[in-house]
Amino acid sequence: MTRTRLMARILGLALVLALPLAGGDAAGQGAPKPQYGGTLEIGTVYVTLTALSWDPQDWNWKLNHDTGMFYEQLFAADLDKSVRKGGKHKFYADAWLPSDAIRGELAERWEWKENPLSVVLHLRKGIMFPEKPGVMKARELTAEDVVFSYDRLDKSPKKIPTYFDHIAKVEARDKYTVVFTFKEYNAEWDYRFGWGYYSAIVPKEMAAVDAKNWKNAVGTGPFQLADFVQSNSQTYVKTPGYWDTEKLGGTVYKLPFVDKLVYRTIKDEATQHSMLRSGKLDMLESIRWSVVDNLKKSAPQLKWSKWLNMSGTFLAMRVDQKPFGDIRVRRALNMAVNKQEIVSAYYGGNAELFAYPMHPDYHGYFEPLDKMPASVKELFTYDPAKAKKLLAEAGYPNGFSFKVQVCSCSPDHMDLLPLVAGYLEKVGVKLEIQPMEYGAFLSAMTTKTNAPGYFMNNGHTNPTTSIRKSFVTGQTWNPSQYSDPAYDRKMQEVYLTRDETKRQQMLREMTVEILDKAPYVWLPTPYIFTAWWPWVQNYNGELRAGAVRPGPIYARIWIDQEMKKKMGF
Amino acid sequence: MTTAAAGALEGLPQEHGAFTGFLLRLVRKKLLGAASAVVFVVFLLCGIFAGVLAPHGMNEINPINRMKPPSLEFPFGTDNLGRDMFSRILYGARLSVIIGFCAAGLATVISVVVGVTSGYLRGRFDMLMQRLVDAWMTFPDLVILIAVVSVVGPGMPQVIVILGLLYGIAGSRIVRGAVVGVRENLYVDAAQALGAGTLRILWRHILPNVLPPVIVLFTTRVGVVILAEAGLSFLGLGVPPPAPTWGGMLSGSGRAYMYQGPWLALAPGLCLTVVVYSINMFGDALRDLLDPRMRGTG
Amino acid sequence: MLPYISRRLLALIPTLFFASLIVFVTVRLIPGSVIDMMLSQNDIAVGKDRAQLEAALGLDRPMYVQYLRWAGAALRGDLGRSLWQNTPVTSQLLERLPVTFELGLLALMVALLVAIPIGVYSAVRQDNAGDYLTRSFSILMLAVPSFWMGTLVMVFPSIWWGWSPELKFVPFRVEPLKNLSQMIVPAVILGTSLSAVTMRLTRTMMLEVLRQDYIRTAWAKGLTERPVVMRHALRNALIPVVTLVGLQAPLLIGGAVILEQIFVIPGMGLLLLEAVSQRDYPIITGVFLVIGVCVMLINLLVDLSYGTLDPRVRYRG
Repeated sequence: MTRTRLMARILGLALVLALPLAGGDAAGQGAPKPQYGGTLEIGTVYVTLTALSWDPQDWNWKLNHDTGMFYEQLFAADLDKSVRKGGKHKFYADAWLPSDAIRGELAERWEWKENPLSVVLHLRKGIMFPEKPGVMKARELTAEDVVFSYDRLDKSPKKIPTYFDHIAKVEARDKYTVVFTFKEYNAEWDYRFGWGYYSAIVPKEMAAVDAKNWKNAVGTGPFQLADFVQSNSQTYVKTPGYWDTEKLGGTVYKLPFVDKLVYRTIKDEATQHSMLRSGKLDMLESIRWSVVDNLKKSAPQLKWSKWLNMSGTFLAMRVDQKPFGDIRVRRALNMAVNKQEIVSAYYGGNAELFAYPMHPDYHGYFEPLDKMPASVKELFTYDPAKAKKLLAEAGYPNGFSFKVQVCSCSPDHMDLLPLVAGYLEKVGVKLEIQPMEYGAFLSAMTTKTNAPGYFMNNGHTNPTTSIRKSFVTGQTWNPSQYSDPAYDRKMQEVYLTRDETKRQQMLREMTVEILDKAPYVWLPTPYIFTAWWPWVQNYNGELRAGAVRPGPIYARIWIDQEMKKKMGF
Repeated sequence: MTTAAAGALEGLPQEHGAFTGFLLRLVRKKLLGAASAVVFVVFLLCGIFAGVLAPHGMNEINPINRMKPPSLEFPFGTDNLGRDMFSRILYGARLSVIIGFCAAGLATVISVVVGVTSGYLRGRFDMLMQRLVDAWMTFPDLVILIAVVSVVGPGMPQVIVILGLLYGIAGSRIVRGAVVGVRENLYVDAAQALGAGTLRILWRHILPNVLPPVIVLFTTRVGVVILAEAGLSFLGLGVPPPAPTWGGMLSGSGRAYMYQGPWLALAPGLCLTVVVYSINMFGDALRDLLDPRMRGTG
Repeated sequence: MLPYISRRLLALIPTLFFASLIVFVTVRLIPGSVIDMMLSQNDIAVGKDRAQLEAALGLDRPMYVQYLRWAGAALRGDLGRSLWQNTPVTSQLLERLPVTFELGLLALMVALLVAIPIGVYSAVRQDNAGDYLTRSFSILMLAVPSFWMGTLVMVFPSIWWGWSPELKFVPFRVEPLKNLSQMIVPAVILGTSLSAVTMRLTRTMMLEVLRQDYIRTAWAKGLTERPVVMRHALRNALIPVVTLVGLQAPLLIGGAVILEQIFVIPGMGLLLLEAVSQRDYPIITGVFLVIGVCVMLINLLVDLSYGTLDPRVRYRG
């Protein structure tokens, strides 16, 4: 970057650092002192889904979300690096942590060893499992629990094949030391078993009880599971003597602050908003942009944050069939859709043209559209004349028609697809829309029998997975059937590269390449909003501190009960 | 012929002049019913002539015009994709007419056939029929609907057939109940004693006396089917967008945008309510007039 | 009477198993198998792990083997385990059936409380202003879709007064008052829309019965109106009402999905909807079986009550 820019940055940094020092005491006096107690009622990002599983052995993606309050992991997000505390990370990403914002949760420190390639993890001392009648007595966490948890995952019949292939063995060297020996390096090593979806550490007493029964769940975390009413609510109560602390205003506080945490499961949107307005929900994490105005009017004291959806919307085209085998056709369709108008008219301005397959939150991996080569920028510019020309060149001067499958379960898609169809019709391309029920829709993709057009949303997960799961040959989430052996090799290389900066560059190049090849009609990504009442303190809209794991975030929230009472709730 | 049977035949219009007479009676005695009939006819006409009456197309997406409140150009405003609500309501009337009448018709035919034969014949046939009805009615309709929708995809014919079957078989119990009651009447025994054949008895004696509840059943069913489709749309199993069924509009964009655009919900909601209400009131009035035993009262 | 009851009960068994077989096979044939859905959750999975997962879930056996296994277990009271959560189906049913039953019962009570007085009044005072008004109200309640009523009740009080209904579910046996406060709103909504049909049927049958010979005889004998109405007419007029109760039995047991969704009631309706969407076969067949048994029993009771209510109906052996 330029000199002036660098200077500005340094100055800015200095200011930011100086401010708390200068007004440190004043800030400490001004900021309210945390209180203990109260119940936090939350409508999470997955408010419409009840808990699907309580046992890590099920390999269920949502497990961390529901168990992350009691089953802790080796690593987790370093929430001190959040914007709320003066850092730069927002922690919105659903399954990604920036490498400079990972801290050891159950692990205190770790080091790499060569020959053989291994990681030696040292666990924190004094972390306790509370007593659970019928399951276990209170005792300290040891390396055996970590090894037990890993083995249990590895031997599960529901395990994702090849997931732990990079690991040769896991063993406990002594009471607090775990050694992971690798067959080869894998860039996702800490994600796959560390802070990812399948990294929960359970006590070894789980072997003797029915781990699927929620009544037997017990872990080292800040809250324990107290009640589960399926499709209605999940209640967690504070773990006495929990090990972690939080530093606020110079003082160190034991966690967690609140006594009880309740997840509400509410399928209906109108009901969610009503409960937020009436104060029965303290926070609602996922709110559509179109209702924000009304909520702001009817509940003006609510605090807000907004984040770009961690899921891309697109129309996939089967590149293994005519006419989509021809890249000109695919690029033409991209140019025929007025994406700017979709942003301004359909999303009311609350969307971004480009956020998939790479997300702006992935610092270092993301390149904004204006930095991209002209051939990519072209795909996001409305140019029906050029589209027609390309189609004619490819042999379709009068356009063509094709079938598009869409899930009738998504009202948003049922609205958006006809809009896209309208644009495409103007260049002579007719869509034959086939709405399908959810199970049938999903099955069409997994059995690779989907129609030439397939309209869907797909989550990013993280910078590497986002590309791998959709654009590598034969993957489940690859409805366009994109297959390029050279591209597959590049992906493999990414996993073997140890230097993150190099990986970032490789992935940036791969993003540009796939955007250019246009197996999808790339569509804009909307913003989503989070709202919470002002008595919810020490919270700034952070969503995940691991892979779909908000536990540590909720542990740090405290409720200003006097304020709540004064406001009349 | 007994007096009751003669009375039954009197209620049914026989010659040309009787129809006008019937209309006059309707207006004179059942004003509310007559008014409802007018609404009902307007609804039917709107449905049939929707193509001619509608100023815009059924699915003219135009994002520039989105969420406009009612005005001269757009009497009922526009929806979230810029489509004219008035036109969509008219086309929706057509869909509701088709779905309502077809499904209700199918249901009524099934109810009558099953209910009358089962209720009149009694004995083993009745036993078997009722057990089959039982078995059918225990099928959670959701399972059937999702099964059909998954295999064939969501659509109008599926909705009509499923709703027709479901309400038809369920309604057969009501018809059977009425037949059981009527069957025990003296004049049926008398007719049987006189040697009248089963079909003659069914046609001459049972059917006319069972007609009132059947008419009520049909008219209620039209309304119920339209409402049921709305419920199915809410669950995502109804006739899929962009089909402008009133239920679909109410449960979809009506609910989603109810703060920014109340007209998105008011238009289809009011139409639904008014039409279903009129159908029912009209059905009541019709039954009151046609029932042989109601004649001469009030 | 007794042979009739016992024959009905015996007929229950083959009916149930025949129907359960149909459901069993149908759900497994719906496109979009549970294996596909499970595999799609794990983004790395590629085709070959189907076999492993199928075996783990017991879905690799031929259909008839699976059915026989299930039927055999069902006879012992074991309805299997949920494919997704591995919880026993029976325990889930035991949790959710009372909830649905309570909602249905409350709704029926509301419906009858509203409908029968209106129906009787309308019949006795046919065609006067009161008749029209009450009938109109009842039909109006029918004409507004329940999900819309539910939405209005849920949304507007929260905008105007910052109030929303209690939505944290507590079972009746734990805290009856709190439970009722959650159930009452959807029960009233459901009940008022049910009341319309009941009311009209009551009115219809009342009108017919009031003109019957034996009523005229009672009048001729000089009996005053009220006892006549109450004793003779109402009894007969209850026949369609009881039929209606029988008709609503699937609602009692199967739940009102829409209201359950809006008011967050963990009932059978939502359980079934989720299970079908997720292709959780054991839950679907288990729910179906329970609904089947209960509905058939209720229908049996309804048919038996015909005998009590209508003296002309006799149950031939």
